[in-house]
Amino acid sequence: MDTFGLKIIASDKVFFEGRCRSLVLPAPDGEVGLLPHHENMVIAVEVGIARMEAEEGKWCEIAVGTGFAEIVNNRVTLLVDTAERPEDIDVRRAQEQKERAEEQMRQKRSIQQYYHTQASLARAMNRLRLAQDKKWNL
Amino acid sequence: MANIREIQSRISSVKDTMKITNAMYMISSSKMTHARKKLADTEPYFYALQGEISRILRHVPDLEHPFFDMREKIPAEERKIGTIVVTADKGLAGAYNHNVVKLAEEILARPGRHKLYIVGELGRHYFARRGVEIESSFQYTVQKPTMHRARDISGVLIDEFRRGELDEIHIVYTRMENSVQADAETLRLLPLERSSFNEMKMPLNVHREAIALYPSVEAVLKAIVPNYITGMIYGCLVEAYASEHNARMMAMKSATDSAQSLIRELSIVYNRARQAAITQEITEVCSGARAQQNRR
Repeated sequence: MDTFGLKIIASDKVFFEGRCRSLVLPAPDGEVGLLPHHENMVIAVEVGIARMEAEEGKWCEIAVGTGFAEIVNNRVTLLVDTAERPEDIDVRRAQEQKERAEEQMRQKRSIQQYYHTQASLARAMNRLRLAQDKKWNL
Repeated sequence: MANIREIQSRISSVKDTMKITNAMYMISSSKMTHARKKLADTEPYFYALQGEISRILRHVPDLEHPFFDMREKIPAEERKIGTIVVTADKGLAGAYNHNVVKLAEEILARPGRHKLYIVGELGRHYFARRGVEIESSFQYTVQKPTMHRARDISGVLIDEFRRGELDEIHIVYTRMENSVQADAETLRLLPLERSSFNEMKMPLNVHREAIALYPSVEAVLKAIVPNYITGMIYGCLVEAYASEHNARMMAMKSATDSAQSLIRELSIVYNRARQAAITQEITEVCSGARAQQNRR
């Protein structure tokens, strides 16, 4: 099977660099799957869970933050503000983050702060979802 | 010549100060290595973002978006200009704070209605005393810059820009050229300038690869631009943090050095004074003894 070059860059590190068989990304209107030789495109990425198949049959899940993916000449660059593997997620911290965000949502705040907390709640829940899914698989 | 006790207490006080400056030197140097590592980690993301925007602009030339709107209709005196000023939380860092403040003053002297968003305690105090308009709810520290804080800051500013409360957003920070040189500089964050993304002039006969933007141009730019601003602010914060500690490190190093030379000088003076006292005592004893001999 064909592969394409994939580079995942998070704001604090280069998360992944290498060949990949297929990639599924969370876009604003649902998931988008990428296969080799995809059309040149820039895709907005939402907070969610991305899946990539680096080797055959081996899917790897990644919790990603907002950002975008760019596909040019069979090379994909995924630029997101955070990218984490399930094993790197600290469930307790994510739980605390979620509770803090929920607490702040309850207090009456300005609209701007509301969106802000909402975004941080989304990130926390996304982390938790990925981490907890893994737990059940064990 | 001062008396011996005075010199002694002076030496011990200089020694105490030297201990403090030396400790601060070491703290700053360890914090600086941290900051530099952070800077190196975030650089690929930052440059990729910048490259990406320029690529999108190149392929989609007739892009209309609020973030690129220069708002030229607003005359210069009426423009609402917001400036983020990144200073340190405390002094003792040589000319670091002065350079930033001086640059901020230059911006304030230009026409327009200015508003300052200050990161760092020292700058806040300085401009509060000067009576410049400061956004009072903007309370962030410069210690240990995080992506989270950068996201907070950019959220506030992008919101104000969208609502028309601000027409331009600048940031004043200190960029580290290398370990000996750091310069304060200003950067415009919003509106984005096409030319600042070093757009290449492409000849007409070259095939332009078409890049589709999915799901829409707005959605893609909405995902990229705030991230770009956040990344930019984060980069500036980290850069400023590294240069602050570099400046403090150098200031503390020279303070320690001059304390050492001061101690050397003082101990020479002290030894002389001690010698003089001894000599005087001997003379006194001798002359006393001779007086006794003469009497006999």
